[in-house]
Amino acid sequence: MADSSGTTLMDLITADPTPAPASTLAPAASSAPTSASYPATTPPAVLPTALGKPVGEKKSKRAALMQIQNDTISAAKSALHPVRASIMPQKQKKKPVSYAQLARSIHELAATCDNKKSVRQLVNHVFPKLAVYNSVDPSLAPSLLMLNQQCEDRSVLRYVYYYLARILSDTGAQGLSTGGGIPTPNWDALADIDAVGGVTRADVVPRIVEQLTVEAKNSEFEFHARRLQSLKALTSAPSTNSEILSRLYEVVFGILEKVGDNPQKRKKGIFGAKGGDRDSVIRSNLQYGALSALRRLPLDPGNPAFLHYAVNGISFADPVAVRQALEIVSELATRDPYAVAMALGKHVEPGGALQDVLHLNDVLARVSLARLCCAISRARALDERPDIRSQFNSLLYQLLLDPSERVCFEAILCVIGKYDNTERTEERASGWYRLTREILKLPDASSKESSKDKSQKSKRPQPLIKLVMRRLESSFRSFSRPVLHAAARVVQEMGKSRAAAFSVGLQDVDEGAHVNTFADSADLNDSDESAHPESIRRTSSVSNAAAGRDTTAGLLASLMEVVRTTVACECVYVRAMVIKALIWMQSPIDSFDELGSIIASELSDPSWPAALLNDVLLTLHARFKASPDMAVTLLEIARIFATKVPGKVDADVLQLLWKTCLVGAGPDGKPKALEAVTIVLDLPPPQPGSTLGITSVDRVFASDPKSALALQKLVQAAVWFLGENANYAASEYAWESATPPGTALMMLDADKMVAAASSRNPTLAGALTRLQRCAFSGGWEIRIIAAQALTTMAIRSGEPFRLQIYEFLHTLAHGGLQTQFSDMHISNGEDQGASGTGLGVLLSPMIKVLDEMYRAQDDLIKEIRIHDNAKKEWTDDELKKLYETHERLLDLVSLFCYVPRAKYLPLGPTSAKLIDIYRSRHNISASTGLSDPAVATGISDLLYESKPAPAEPDTLDDDLVNAWAANLGDAPAMNRVNEFLAGDGMDAPEVDEENMISRPSISYDDMWAKTLLESSELEEDDARSMGSSSPDSTGSVETSISSHFGGMSYPSLFSSRPSTTDKAQTSRGSGPSIYEGLGSPIREEPPPYSSPVRQRYGSFENPLSGNGSQSFGSQDDERVSSGNPQFGTALYDFTAGGDDELSLTAGEEVEIEYEVDGWFYVKKKRPGRDGKMAGLVPVLYVNQS
Amino acid sequence: MILAVLFANAEGNILIERFHGVPSEERLHWRSFLVKLGADNLKGTKNEELLVACHKSVYIVYTVLGDVSIYVVGKDEYDELALSEVIFVITSAVKDVCGKPPTERVFLDKYGRICLCLDEIVWKGYLENTEKDRIKRLIRLKPPTEY
Repeated sequence: MADSSGTTLMDLITADPTPAPASTLAPAASSAPTSASYPATTPPAVLPTALGKPVGEKKSKRAALMQIQNDTISAAKSALHPVRASIMPQKQKKKPVSYAQLARSIHELAATCDNKKSVRQLVNHVFPKLAVYNSVDPSLAPSLLMLNQQCEDRSVLRYVYYYLARILSDTGAQGLSTGGGIPTPNWDALADIDAVGGVTRADVVPRIVEQLTVEAKNSEFEFHARRLQSLKALTSAPSTNSEILSRLYEVVFGILEKVGDNPQKRKKGIFGAKGGDRDSVIRSNLQYGALSALRRLPLDPGNPAFLHYAVNGISFADPVAVRQALEIVSELATRDPYAVAMALGKHVEPGGALQDVLHLNDVLARVSLARLCCAISRARALDERPDIRSQFNSLLYQLLLDPSERVCFEAILCVIGKYDNTERTEERASGWYRLTREILKLPDASSKESSKDKSQKSKRPQPLIKLVMRRLESSFRSFSRPVLHAAARVVQEMGKSRAAAFSVGLQDVDEGAHVNTFADSADLNDSDESAHPESIRRTSSVSNAAAGRDTTAGLLASLMEVVRTTVACECVYVRAMVIKALIWMQSPIDSFDELGSIIASELSDPSWPAALLNDVLLTLHARFKASPDMAVTLLEIARIFATKVPGKVDADVLQLLWKTCLVGAGPDGKPKALEAVTIVLDLPPPQPGSTLGITSVDRVFASDPKSALALQKLVQAAVWFLGENANYAASEYAWESATPPGTALMMLDADKMVAAASSRNPTLAGALTRLQRCAFSGGWEIRIIAAQALTTMAIRSGEPFRLQIYEFLHTLAHGGLQTQFSDMHISNGEDQGASGTGLGVLLSPMIKVLDEMYRAQDDLIKEIRIHDNAKKEWTDDELKKLYETHERLLDLVSLFCYVPRAKYLPLGPTSAKLIDIYRSRHNISASTGLSDPAVATGISDLLYESKPAPAEPDTLDDDLVNAWAANLGDAPAMNRVNEFLAGDGMDAPEVDEENMISRPSISYDDMWAKTLLESSELEEDDARSMGSSSPDSTGSVETSISSHFGGMSYPSLFSSRPSTTDKAQTSRGSGPSIYEGLGSPIREEPPPYSSPVRQRYGSFENPLSGNGSQSFGSQDDERVSSGNPQFGTALYDFTAGGDDELSLTAGEEVEIEYEVDGWFYVKKKRPGRDGKMAGLVPVLYVNQS
Repeated sequence: MILAVLFANAEGNILIERFHGVPSEERLHWRSFLVKLGADNLKGTKNEELLVACHKSVYIVYTVLGDVSIYVVGKDEYDELALSEVIFVITSAVKDVCGKPPTERVFLDKYGRICLCLDEIVWKGYLENTEKDRIKRLIRLKPPTEY
């Protein structure tokens, strides 16, 4: 961008009618052609000036030198910035003034600054042109400083301060500083290259600071304007420089010490009045300069002097100084409200300085006042001083009457509990309470204050909410877009507070207010109507409609009506804010139709940028978080987004929203929620005559490949989502199937099957039908995902669904029905492949698994019959075989999707009893973690992270949320939601709608997953004993992982400490040697151990009954005391680096307990010098014997 | 915090930019975002008519003045309304320096003084001086209040 601007800005330099300044000077002329001869390679050629040397001395000698330097520099620069070449102006007529020439002119003119002509030259030509470049060469500093000392001309000096400040502020990174304009090289880097006379910032900054400090301390009267400027220039140094910072503090406090303690009476009305006596004017100017500088310095909350001067500043005469002081004080007040309140003392009282601020003609000062009042009146630290708090509170309420919208809105936001970006539900809720309660309380409270303070327009006391509503309504009639935007934002924040109030159960108060205030408000209403005859027609109409009741609800309704009309604003950003406000003000009980139609008609507008739409989508997330019972409504809105603007919304965010809402929708909402998702698959509504939505989609979007692609992605997301969550939504799980075994096998007739399926569970059947259609039509990505989704459902669902899917997949793979469907994918234009859908390769392993499952089930039934007929017990070997099959199938199934191992029965429900027998006989935990190939191969984290666990169907209990939350971490969308919810937002916008850079964010996890995970761990036992329909469905990642360990029946397996649970697979591998058989699915073999191991079995708590995480700890202890001893010798000396480590001396004999992540936990025979007996040592330090 | 003040011409070339607290790698994005915003919305806008946008929690107020479009980006206390104040001060200062809504030519001629004005108006990301006379005095190195 800057490059393209170069030509235009260059115009400024070239187009000057006067000749290039440098050419007027003889010595420079010799080198001018030099730099002019490089125009094609670099813009500014630097003229290095040795520090301290008077400029202009020995010019001729240096000209030759410079020539060489310029050569090297330009060569270096073209190497450094090859791209820059293009920005040189193509103009041939006028020679551009190069940076080098400008620099040279400054050097020359600085030497002759007493000359009027040079001054004019500087002010009119050189300095303005220099401003075009985005950074200033530090080598100019000596000349600038010289000018600063010698020049008398104010304009020149002003520029000098400007450039000195820029040199100070320049961070030197790639020459890209705050300046903008034509890019300049990194001067410091250049100076390093140039060994002869290079001047870096490091060289000049101390000198500049020195000189500016001296000036800032100069207390001559005539000098004070320069004093202010040098102070200002000093503050532009980066605040990381502690040396400059301490100097600044010194200077600022020095000034304030002299001038800060004489609070003067401000003359009201005439700010910055002329005609004050000289001393007081100068003092006020200095006060201004010092406070403004103080404002730019880092806050120093613990420093009483800092606070003292800032508080004194509130009564200064200079309005800007007052603003700065208020800003400082209000920031301090958020950190230490007590100290600030004490320091403010009398200022807040009637007639005090803070009351004067109310009339100060400075909006930002009043905004700071609002923040200050808010911080103090809400401070817990001031609980014992209700008088102070109420004083500030009344001041805050007065600001609601402020003529400026900015101030009024800030006051409203403060009242409703929005001060910063942290969202606290209680604060918000009490904010809403405050806003509405004032209907009841204000009369006596405000009559006091109004008689004293609101003298100018003291009227009958008014309820807060009425004031606010009326103000907002009138703001919505404004023509100014910023005002509309801000008003909508305020309404949105009100909605947030309201939602918070509802969620903490304050709605009773809200409802109660209607009734209780009826009597008072009737009275109030009357007075109100008389006081405001012009009172907004809507208010009256509404209050009429509501039978004269001036309730919160009535006021809100009238406000919302105005808000809705604002949707007609031509600015999309305003409209977006209005929609967000509407979403927030939407309450679960309201009808959603109006909002729905507004959003639907809005989204038809093509001018909506995608980023904004996604922002609204994220608002839905936030809304859902605030009130989960709105899940269905929100999904409806999300559905509108998906149907109207599929190409613009972010599929990941949408999917996340589906998932969040699906879980939050509760048992009744789930089918509806799923329906909202499946709608996406019908995008856009099928054309008349066409039965296939997807193919027509292809046609519709053919003209716009980008949105076609986006739609494709959206459909993929929907298909995947359906596969993963249909079982949850339909509450249908194989392991909870109510269908008696065998029934399914009877119904091999496909039609019957479908009928049975849909009658049993219409939700699942509907999802299935949609997925089946997707598996046939749509792009190949969709077909693949659909096939995967179907497999997932087949594995997770009970009969008859599994059979139905099995048959379908079979058909799909072998193309048996190819002819029947072939007309459907004509429009795909793809080679369908030998197998009809091209999915053969993908499908065959899936079918194989299902095949195996069915075959094993058949075998099992056969076996059972044989046993029953023969009336003989199952032998251990037979059971073992059965169990092996069970485990093997579980492994296979786990490769496709997540199933709870403890409950899943690939052999069908009949096998449950037999497997239980075997398990209890051999003391095998229900979920043998080791046999999960995912765990064994160390990919469990991946697997469990990315696959959603089927959660418990009925209640939104911990396990469920747990599982769900744990699954949320997978998408970058998560980060986006996190950022949004955290109120983050400084990231540069992406113009090209690329993927946003995702950043690690923990807030969402903190809010949901982490807390829930922890609490669910603790409450797991309770949850189980509560007897929910699937008491120990190990839906949660945590549970399943920990139960893997619980299931490891060999004591020596527990060779990892609790803290390393997730890395346990490594330690397991390196444990005692019996685990060669790790890869094999047979794990329950009686271990080749002799008695000690058997004994240990006895000491185990039964893993089946205990929960994994609990038993883990105890087992761990157990293990430490009874390891299978291994011995080793220390190879080298080792010094412990932490508490859990153990120091070793070479040659020492140790007993190796277990290994963790490259560390042995070892015990010594005798305590070492540090008295420790046992601890961790690196594996490599010990030679195992 | 006023994150950015940016002047661009009608073609979307940037004339002046001042960033505060924006990492340099994000500046490019902001530039192109703002310029695109202007290109999309500023057609047919009256002088000094304020337009608004937001991105995450950052607010943008922008307007057109003669041939030059002016963008102000802020967050926290500098919301759309506070930015309106800022942009009002900036436009009046520019008009003051240029004498009228500037053409690009005039703007570039007065480039130096505009930079100085901006320096007095926005100081390290905070609004400083708002009064026209005061700014005028300060850029001539006179004390803010005369005696």
